[in-house]
Amino acid sequence: MRTMIVIGAGLSGLMGALALAEAGLRPLVLAKGQGATHWTAGTIDVWGADERSPREALQALGESRPRHPYALIGAHAVENAIARFRALTEVARYPYVGGLDRNVLLPTAAGALRPVALLPVTMAAGDVRLGGEVLIAGFHELRDFYPPFIAANLAAQGIAARGIYLTTPPAFRRHEYTTVTFAHMFDDPTFRSDIGRQLRAHRGDATRIGLPAILGLRDPLGAVAHLQHESGAQVFEIPTLPPSVPGIRLFALFQHAIEQHGGRLQIGSEVNHGDGQNRLLTTIWSEAAARQQEHRVERALLATGGVAGGGIRTDHTGIVRETALDLPVRAPANRADWFAPRFLDPHGHAVYTAGVATDARLRPLGADDEVVYDNVAVAGATLAGTDTVRERSRSGVSLATGWAAGRILAGLVS
Amino acid sequence: MRTFTTDVLVIGGGATGAGALRDLVLRGIRCALVEKGDLTHGTTGRYHGLLHSGGRYVVKDPQSAEECARENEVLRKIMPHCIEETGGLFVVTPADDEAYADRFVDACRRTGVWVEEIPVREALHREPLLNPRIKRAFAVRDGAADSFLATHANTDDARRYGAQVLTYHRVVGLERVGDRIIGALCEDLRSGETVRVHASFIINATGAWAGKIAAMAGLRINVVPGKGTMIAMNHRIVNTVVNRCKMPADGDIIVPIHTVAVLGTTDIPVPDPDVYDITPEEVHQILEEGECLVPGVSRMRALRAWAGVRPLYKEQDAGSDRDIPRTYKLLDHETRNGVAGMVSIVGGKWTTYRLMAEHTVDLVAQRLGVTTPCRTADLKIEPSHDGAASAPHQSARSQFAILASPFYMLGHRLAEVEADDSYGELICECELVTRAHLEAAIRSEGTANLDDLRRDTRLGMGPCQGGFCTYRAAAIWHELRNGTDRASGVPPATALLRHFLQERWKGVTPTLWGDQLRQERLDELNYLETLAVDRLPDAGHVAIEQKRDYVVEEVV
Repeated sequence: MRTMIVIGAGLSGLMGALALAEAGLRPLVLAKGQGATHWTAGTIDVWGADERSPREALQALGESRPRHPYALIGAHAVENAIARFRALTEVARYPYVGGLDRNVLLPTAAGALRPVALLPVTMAAGDVRLGGEVLIAGFHELRDFYPPFIAANLAAQGIAARGIYLTTPPAFRRHEYTTVTFAHMFDDPTFRSDIGRQLRAHRGDATRIGLPAILGLRDPLGAVAHLQHESGAQVFEIPTLPPSVPGIRLFALFQHAIEQHGGRLQIGSEVNHGDGQNRLLTTIWSEAAARQQEHRVERALLATGGVAGGGIRTDHTGIVRETALDLPVRAPANRADWFAPRFLDPHGHAVYTAGVATDARLRPLGADDEVVYDNVAVAGATLAGTDTVRERSRSGVSLATGWAAGRILAGLVS
Repeated sequence: MRTFTTDVLVIGGGATGAGALRDLVLRGIRCALVEKGDLTHGTTGRYHGLLHSGGRYVVKDPQSAEECARENEVLRKIMPHCIEETGGLFVVTPADDEAYADRFVDACRRTGVWVEEIPVREALHREPLLNPRIKRAFAVRDGAADSFLATHANTDDARRYGAQVLTYHRVVGLERVGDRIIGALCEDLRSGETVRVHASFIINATGAWAGKIAAMAGLRINVVPGKGTMIAMNHRIVNTVVNRCKMPADGDIIVPIHTVAVLGTTDIPVPDPDVYDITPEEVHQILEEGECLVPGVSRMRALRAWAGVRPLYKEQDAGSDRDIPRTYKLLDHETRNGVAGMVSIVGGKWTTYRLMAEHTVDLVAQRLGVTTPCRTADLKIEPSHDGAASAPHQSARSQFAILASPFYMLGHRLAEVEADDSYGELICECELVTRAHLEAAIRSEGTANLDDLRRDTRLGMGPCQGGFCTYRAAAIWHELRNGTDRASGVPPATALLRHFLQERWKGVTPTLWGDQLRQERLDELNYLETLAVDRLPDAGHVAIEQKRDYVVEEVV
């Protein structure tokens, strides 16, 4: 029976499960559904709230905001997590590049420039510092990528860019197109050859070509190399609205690594209750297919996400709850304080800072900072105290705290 | 300055104004209507959609109940395509005074409101989510009405007979010579041009704004704008109108309409019909009251909240808002104030709009020496298009309007998408807006921003509230209009995108919690994390908006 339980299968749960699996602890991952990997860009954004490098920001946070998740685990732990993640992606032959020294600015599907610390190598040629003219190419059939709009916004920021539409070869016409149907097409070399030839014909003076992040699920690096060869330019991916193909790749890579090390993923099981005594969580219940399942718990990692992931839930009376174990939550006192008047308010909306407060060992804390469970660690967006979307640190916080939580639960952190 | 002359000018493009216009033209009187926004932009477009049986007012306001009961039958006959025969229930919940039910039945008998007590188990069989602890249940002839469709049906029919309808024309002054009003000055909000209308008679059908119009002629009308807030739930939690059997109060009714169910309402006097907001307390109160009717309703998914302002007329000082009669009042300024040439019609219900129009036009016709009787109670309004939604006949809203108009039925669109096999063309999946709808709306004259597209196509009004389609619409707008907009000074699509996100935000915040807040956070991930729209250039541009007095989300 597996008693090392990870609740949630987003980036933090997956990182934590990997740490536990590698320690030989055979974790069981219980998740209601797939996590934020599938909805987001697939990059690791460590810090983008200001112009500081991620490393500078990490070091300063220890002083200025000691309750920030990064500060709780320490800059060193973040570095370790990133090193482990990079090694994992290398082995999986889907390497991430970049680091904490500086952010890379990558074009978005709206033509904005987004600061990113680590990115899959398939996006590397998007780095705006590379210069030269950029061709943005997409497909009319894909509803979530508009090359003329992207190119116009890049041009407005001084980046020479053109936007064009490619033709889907007749043999590949479908009833309906999503990012995933396109990814399957890009797995096919005949499709890629056709697209590569079109890119070459449109290339002009462009040295780099940006395509939506749909360049295959089986072998994206091979697909990029193939397209570069055919087109004669550097090719890079630009993340799209969900479903995120880079995110799906990331999930698959983790699943493989966790299972290889003896872990197991059970997707479709929603944990909705936990019970314990003497500061120890002893049992949790999950529900799947109208069946309650009881799990004995030795140690548990709570990584169910925040408001978006479903780990934090609100109601009309202003009550904010943690949904899996009903842990105490830190949140704005009443609903009138949840939102700023402007959607794009740079400080964000207070309700999204709601979450579970922890100590430095990521153990959940009650209202008076007393430890609720000694054998539980909390990671990712479930953590209180900061709006990681505004900070552009969401995936970085998930990755680092997930890894740290897994290591702590494995007894590998003193 | 543009000038035209008509016999009767109707001010106000809501239900009453549109009804008066049709009544006038059917009696052979030359007439025109001016509306400062779009048709139904005021209170008509912001109510819950109830076709009253009269039951709600039988005890408190029997005259209004009688009027509702009669008009209910008339409207079912003359505009069946605008009405869904849901039927209604009045139920006695454990929180209600049981003695009221007998008074209710007696009052129904006296006022001619059809009522039939049904066994509680029968009521629960019809509406399984209803509170199982209800004590008694009464069936009535409530229904759900599409007020957009009905208003357009009236104006469309009036146009067929030659009436003029001018939207986005705001009255800025009334022309008074001595003791006679002889016309109005309007501003065409689209062009900025001043339009002078000479009229033998003016009908002030501006509801909660009637006091503001009358003041332009130096007349005083004591209209108390009564704000009513409503919440649209994501699905039809009931298929019958459900009322609590008690004296009318806040939050005691659920109206199923189209794909949603509306919980209503509050009643809060506001000093100015153009300035009000929706408070968390009101929303809370509506949901808590709703729990009495449908236990668990406050945990269901709420889409959005909006408010309308009732045109309550106060002759003398009444107590609270709820004590002001719901019946209408026709104010003849000649007999009241010695000023000829204008009448004001205030108070009333949507259900009695036709009767109000008839009464008003009777007086106007008499003053003009016209003896043709009213025909609106008998003459059916033909749907403009094969039983589907009718379309405004303006050049700005072309043939696509039948599918893209604000009062469409979702089923019609689904049928079209199925017939054309255009699933892959859906830009707004929630509201089934295809690329063809959107492109037609973007190309149509007068469209200035993405919020105009929303009113035309319902873009972004479904459960995800623009999470995906805002980006798509902005990018398609760029592709279609970039060249021409730059020449004409319209801001770039990025500014429109941000403007739309902000407009949407204002509408959704009152009901953001639970699943809808979760959805909103996903939308944030899309726009902030994946697209980084906050980092786009042109932050200084501001979208051009049609001038509106207030911005609250429209009804369902």
